[in-house]
Amino acid sequence: MAETIGSEVSSMSDKSAKIFVAGHRGLVGSAIARKLQEQGFTNLVLRTHAELDLTRQADVESFFAQEKPVYVILAAAKVGGIHANNTYPADFIGVNLQIQTNVIHSAYEHGVKKLLFLGSSCIYPKFAPQPIPESALLTASLEPTNEWYAIAKIAGIKTCQAYRIQHGWDAISGMPTNLYGPNDNFHPENSHVLPALMRRFHEAKVNGAEEVVVWGTGSPLREFLHVDDLADACVFLLDRYSGLEHVNIGSGQEVTIKELAELVKEVVGFEGKLGWDITKPDGTPRKLMDSSKLASLGWTPKVSLTDGLRQTYDWYLKNVCSQ
Amino acid sequence: MANTTGSEMKSGSFMLEKSAKIFVAGHRGLVGSAIVRKLQDQGFTNLVLRTHSELDLTSQSDVESFFATEKPVYVILAAAKVGGIHANNTYPADFIGVNLQIQTNVIHSAYKHGVKKLLFLGSSCIYPKFAPQPIPESALLTGPLEPTNEWYAIAKIAGIKMCQAYRLQHQWDAISGMPTNLYGQNDNFHPENSHVLPALMRRFHEAKANNADEVVVWGSGSPLREFLHVDDLADACVFLMDQYSGFEHVNVGSGVEVTIKELAELVKEVVGFKGKLVWDCTKPDGTPRKLMDNSKLASLGWTPKISLKDGLSQTYEWYLENVVQQKQ
Repeated sequence: MAETIGSEVSSMSDKSAKIFVAGHRGLVGSAIARKLQEQGFTNLVLRTHAELDLTRQADVESFFAQEKPVYVILAAAKVGGIHANNTYPADFIGVNLQIQTNVIHSAYEHGVKKLLFLGSSCIYPKFAPQPIPESALLTASLEPTNEWYAIAKIAGIKTCQAYRIQHGWDAISGMPTNLYGPNDNFHPENSHVLPALMRRFHEAKVNGAEEVVVWGTGSPLREFLHVDDLADACVFLLDRYSGLEHVNIGSGQEVTIKELAELVKEVVGFEGKLGWDITKPDGTPRKLMDSSKLASLGWTPKVSLTDGLRQTYDWYLKNVCSQ
Repeated sequence: MANTTGSEMKSGSFMLEKSAKIFVAGHRGLVGSAIVRKLQDQGFTNLVLRTHSELDLTSQSDVESFFATEKPVYVILAAAKVGGIHANNTYPADFIGVNLQIQTNVIHSAYKHGVKKLLFLGSSCIYPKFAPQPIPESALLTGPLEPTNEWYAIAKIAGIKMCQAYRLQHQWDAISGMPTNLYGQNDNFHPENSHVLPALMRRFHEAKANNADEVVVWGSGSPLREFLHVDDLADACVFLMDQYSGFEHVNVGSGVEVTIKELAELVKEVVGFKGKLVWDCTKPDGTPRKLMDNSKLASLGWTPKISLKDGLSQTYEWYLENVVQQKQ
């Protein structure tokens, strides 16, 4: 199947075209809505879960029949960390499959011009080569702790490809690396490593603690992308990419957990000690996406980790800890 | 994840409940119709059957209403959009979309409306293209799929995973059975779309009827294949409903391999074609071997009963009565 890569022709030259951003209140969806508004798109259609339950096929069909958006960005999903995936596997696979099947099909049926489907790096095999290229998809077993979510997302990528092949319909998929930024989840138990560190250093600073102890040796390598960069990449892909294959969206910037912790400590302004509990597990030694495909299309990230952390901490101070 | 066996439902209770309401989704297909026949043979009296026009399984609200009204105790999900290589290649969106929609609707509604146990059916094409032979259940998702049927395969894999997820989260009894190549009555004998066994049967029959000199078959005849009569599959399904409540899916095969050459010669003999059987070795053979590892099912105590020869004879009789006669 021949692949149409980047186009010189802009698909989204019409700033008044109606765009439905599904999941506009989440980390990803809210950043995309912000980015579109910054870029001058004036006609965004947004629905909260209470206004439109995407797992209801008939409601999704009515919505599309009435609104007839031109573009759809599918950033709505049931998401969560390891604990949530382990406890609610049926919800993670069932709800996501239902949302995807409903939205993709209704979008196609009601004349949407282009759809962008978003997933995550957990679609890749547990032991994928590092950096992880797009071609690693389905080449080996998944990470068991998030296989429910992963299977649903893989099915979403394949549904988009299948609709492109059968109907010549423009559906693309973007797979982001670890994200951080405003609207992230800072919950003490459920959050991912970056917001967890930020919260812990902040609380240690406020409480005058002597030390923050982080699990592991600090040596594992991770990649982080600020969600505003992700949003920028999404608009870029919507505008320029109409290929069959999904696209990795990463920063290409690796840091060790130690470097990350030290940076967060500095940004937060915690003056105490940073200790490492090396009796605790490290996790995967390295997790980095191969973002060369996106780079070859002409997109690069703009937000450095230090700047991104500062901006996120500002947001955290105004929106989380003040509540 | 540990294989949970039978904590939700006592093994052996399905066969005791001959008047329990059983919904067989897809009762008009090759698999579904065989399952209905088997259940009726075994004395089950309360089958709920709906044609596509009576109940569109891709409609979430219709499926919900159906389950709320009928409240079946057991569900066998044999309804799917199926087809060969050409169909999968031409209609990939239908193959993945329709099957995902059917599965998501039925599995979720069945759980929500108190179904006691559900059996989900798939096919051997869920396995990687280069899976070890014989193919064990553990080969799932360990390598790339066969591209020509990946759309259907992804949907079926998602179905297996949904059943597992509902078992884990809700302790709900959902099992999955993956059959090998099937044949038997109600199979598809279409000249272009059918699989190898019914295709051979049709071709030998037409050659006999037309007094042709020979039938030419593609390839060398050396690839190895496994076939299971659909009545045996149905028997295995009833067995699994009664005896298995495990987390992992179960392969359902005959364990009996034949070369395509042996198959062709057997079909020729059963049909009674007296002309020559010729091999066009310039044409491709396809996968050298495809055999499921059925040791798990065998260890549970199930074995197939229908030999290939008997199964072919029975299928040819059905073909004569139902396909050939229809055309006349």
